[in-house]
Amino acid sequence: MIETHSSSLKTDQMFINLGPQHPSTHGVLRLGITLDGEVIVKAEPDVGYLHRGTEKLCEVRGYHHCVVVTDRWDYVSAMTNNLVFCLAAEKLMGLEIPARANYLRVAMCELNRIASHLLFFGTYGIDIGAFTPFLHAFREREMVLDLFEMVCGARMTYNYIRLGGVMADAPPGWADKTSEFLKYFKTKLREYDDLLSFNPIFLDRTKKVGIITAEQALDWGLSGPNLRGSGVSYDVRKTFPYSIYDKLDFKVCVGEAGSCWDRYYVRMREMAESVKIVEQCLAALPSGDIMAKGVAKIPTPLPGEAYAHVEGARGDLGIYLVSDGTSCPYRLHVRAPSYINLAILQEALVGLRVADMIAVLGSIDIVLGEVDR
Amino acid sequence: MTEISVSGIVEIIKKRYPSITVAEPSLIKGVTSFKASSGTDYLGVIRAFKEDLGFEYLDFLTAVDWKGAVDARGYIMDPNPNPFLPEGAVEQSEVKANPNFQYRDHFEVVVVLSNWKEKLKAAVRIELTRGNPRLPSLYDLWKTADWQERETFDLLGIEFEGHPNLKKILTPDFIQGHPLRKDYVHVKDQYD
Amino acid sequence: MAELATPPPPPTPAPAPAPKPPANVMPPEKAVPAGIRKVFAKHTEGTLLPNRLWPTDVWPNPWKSASYRRGALVLSALILAGTGAAFFLREIGVPLAALRETLHRFAEANLPQVPSWAAEAVWILAKALVVLHIILFNGLFLVWWERKISAHMQSRLGPIFTGKWHGVLQTAADGIKLLLKEDAAPKEKDSWLHSLAPALVFVPVLICFTPVPWGRDLEAANLDAGVLYIFAWAGLSVLGIVLAGWASANKYSLLGGLRSAAQFVSYELPRSFSLVPLIAIAGSLSLTKIAGYQEGYWFGFFPKWFLFYPVVGQISFVIFLIASVAETNRTPFDIAEAESELVGGFHTEYSGMKFSIFFLTEYAYVLLASCLLTTFFMGGGAAPLPFLSVLPSWFWFLGKTLFFMFCFLWFRWTFPRFKIDRLLDFNWKFLLPWSFVNIVLALPYIYLWKL
Repeated sequence: MIETHSSSLKTDQMFINLGPQHPSTHGVLRLGITLDGEVIVKAEPDVGYLHRGTEKLCEVRGYHHCVVVTDRWDYVSAMTNNLVFCLAAEKLMGLEIPARANYLRVAMCELNRIASHLLFFGTYGIDIGAFTPFLHAFREREMVLDLFEMVCGARMTYNYIRLGGVMADAPPGWADKTSEFLKYFKTKLREYDDLLSFNPIFLDRTKKVGIITAEQALDWGLSGPNLRGSGVSYDVRKTFPYSIYDKLDFKVCVGEAGSCWDRYYVRMREMAESVKIVEQCLAALPSGDIMAKGVAKIPTPLPGEAYAHVEGARGDLGIYLVSDGTSCPYRLHVRAPSYINLAILQEALVGLRVADMIAVLGSIDIVLGEVDR
Repeated sequence: MTEISVSGIVEIIKKRYPSITVAEPSLIKGVTSFKASSGTDYLGVIRAFKEDLGFEYLDFLTAVDWKGAVDARGYIMDPNPNPFLPEGAVEQSEVKANPNFQYRDHFEVVVVLSNWKEKLKAAVRIELTRGNPRLPSLYDLWKTADWQERETFDLLGIEFEGHPNLKKILTPDFIQGHPLRKDYVHVKDQYD
Repeated sequence: MAELATPPPPPTPAPAPAPKPPANVMPPEKAVPAGIRKVFAKHTEGTLLPNRLWPTDVWPNPWKSASYRRGALVLSALILAGTGAAFFLREIGVPLAALRETLHRFAEANLPQVPSWAAEAVWILAKALVVLHIILFNGLFLVWWERKISAHMQSRLGPIFTGKWHGVLQTAADGIKLLLKEDAAPKEKDSWLHSLAPALVFVPVLICFTPVPWGRDLEAANLDAGVLYIFAWAGLSVLGIVLAGWASANKYSLLGGLRSAAQFVSYELPRSFSLVPLIAIAGSLSLTKIAGYQEGYWFGFFPKWFLFYPVVGQISFVIFLIASVAETNRTPFDIAEAESELVGGFHTEYSGMKFSIFFLTEYAYVLLASCLLTTFFMGGGAAPLPFLSVLPSWFWFLGKTLFFMFCFLWFRWTFPRFKIDRLLDFNWKFLLPWSFVNIVLALPYIYLWKL
């Protein structure tokens, strides 16, 4: 074998400043990478360009107002953010949620997971150089957003899940439209596999690339599809069930090798599972109230602390909420999965090529709004 | 490993670390809280959790400043006018302290760990004095502590000894102080 | 925001204000102004907005849609009109040759003081201008076509407004914009090389079109070493790309330029070697002769195109096609300008007209590659079936070229991008060995044909 980098040949390393304006950093992430030829020697993610101090903002807002702030973290799947804050606050206040509201919440969150994973699928295609899957994904994502628009009027920052229930009942015809979408979407999932998942070039770019072992993943605190891609079967919906997930039948999708493709394909299979969950929710949707009785306009829970976490589209999204008995949260900490997942880039990128770096960064699937909060 | 229950964990920890107290009733709802009193205890008990009790996942690490109600001066420019607010209702941006709540001049670092096999969670907490908030870093146990501790350092100013790269991460370089401290007052900068 | 804070007064006076409510509870009958209520009412009606159509509404039977029917009608009418025009125009090589004769006779008769080569010079100049305009209009058309094709592949419409009919003038408008645009470039650039690079990229491709036989007797020049001539000039383009990367004072550009150099130099080899069997069988390096060699039919109906030579023809074709896509720097081989990694690659720091020349070159290479594929493998202007030779050769050449151009667009909008190391592996470990094997496979053919 011929050594490509012989020690006698001294070459200079090159520092590349990737971002904060760059087509594939998915927002305002900056990566300082040191290259030896095209091989990465060192990678330093630099975040904070989108830091809005939302944790501090919540400290001077009432509980109802905080729900609005949560929409702005992971703006791609804002329903889950709403849900996790409401779960934490409801734990503090000891509210009982009506069954219909619970089913609507779960249906919305799973639809939002589909929308979010579709965005991932599209942008990951672009990262790898295939542009067409992006618009195919957006075609379907548009339908999910239409469903959200029907029910709450918003397409991005929903503010739909409120303390004690949901903002509005599903309008007549919504369930039919949703079933129509789910039926259509199941055929499209197969199309995505034909188009991208099993494309030889795509497999070549992602299959043995950016491998994160299970130990590494646990060490770096990965969660969600990134952790499951490494073969660790951990899903908050199964391990610490919340809302009505213990009544629903679904599988935890687990990858094998922890490569980019595994993380990608875990998400693709999760969409199919989400479809199943939404179908079950629609079938079992009970009638009744959508809002718990006795939710104060300005809630003032007793002093205490609560931690609620849910399986968001990007991983284990948690909120640690402290109340001192006033009308505003005393302290709110977000366990932002994107932020924690992103840190592994320092280790995962070393030794890869520039093109692989994009594949790994894309497969981690971050939303900078959540990273920086 | 034999099955572990909450009471079993409490027994083991009490036996090994007599200085650790268990908060009763649990501070975080549904999560058993263990209060450490010194940095070595804190590190030791977390190591015991990870290596002996199967709590292999660090859920999160953060801190709380118990000083009192937030000082809203400086960074709330205009409270949002709320047209729905009935006459006489309280404007939401007003933050008042709760007279019945025991505020104290301490930081408290909260670490929540998970044991997925037994579906258990445990919180380790330690109070730090305001003057010198120092704590050993958990980087040797979990690399994910790297960024979570940097965040806690950046926003609350708690210094982690043994951290490889303890510097600001979220706030821009020109921000002075640690914004999530309750006595933080925003100084006007070029963006105001 | 201001409107929300001070909503317009309601049309009917609000009911008298209720007695002062306690601080924490909303009054039972909300005294909210009518304007604000309406905002919420609109969204909770629970219907899709009227202009929101779902694919499930449209796709089951697109023929129901009037615009779909009209589009199909217009498309078939266009194809029919083109065919009809070609049928009546016949071979334009013949009248052009007559025109040249007339020009020579006119010069001999009326301008005795002018040397005899002047008329030929004028004729060559005219041919050069025609080829140049083919390239320019090809860029204009291909960009529009690519936009439309990519759009329809992606459930979009593409340009639709500029020029009224399906955005036909979109590219022209873009061209004007690029012409008028500021030439923004980094201060640290190497000015001379930065300006020289686009020219170095464009000139070779222009020259490459010289021996292309557009139809019977329609080549600009019938060069005896046409194949070598084209490969020699096309290889020079990479110099401009590397220069562009170097002169831009940008690390992304530099990486792009270097990748491009590696790619071009590698893919030149299988591209040339894949043609060796063809050249050996046809016994000539002239494009006109190669195209002419493939005219005629086996068994009276099966075209003697090189593509249909068993085994050898197909291997050659596949290798040449892949290498051609690589040479045009387009997806899946666009690693030199890989947008998601290198921002724009070698043309990151180019704007305005300099950028558009790179763009134009890319499309000129698409045209060139399609022309070469047609000439080498599809018999140039030969008709696919004997009775179809009523249509002139240039019509068939154009049709086949358009088909290959469509293939290029199709590849681009379907495949993801290769990685540079895998790309080179693929070339050196797969394409090149197979092109050698192909030469060996071609030996029996040459032996039989020559005997």
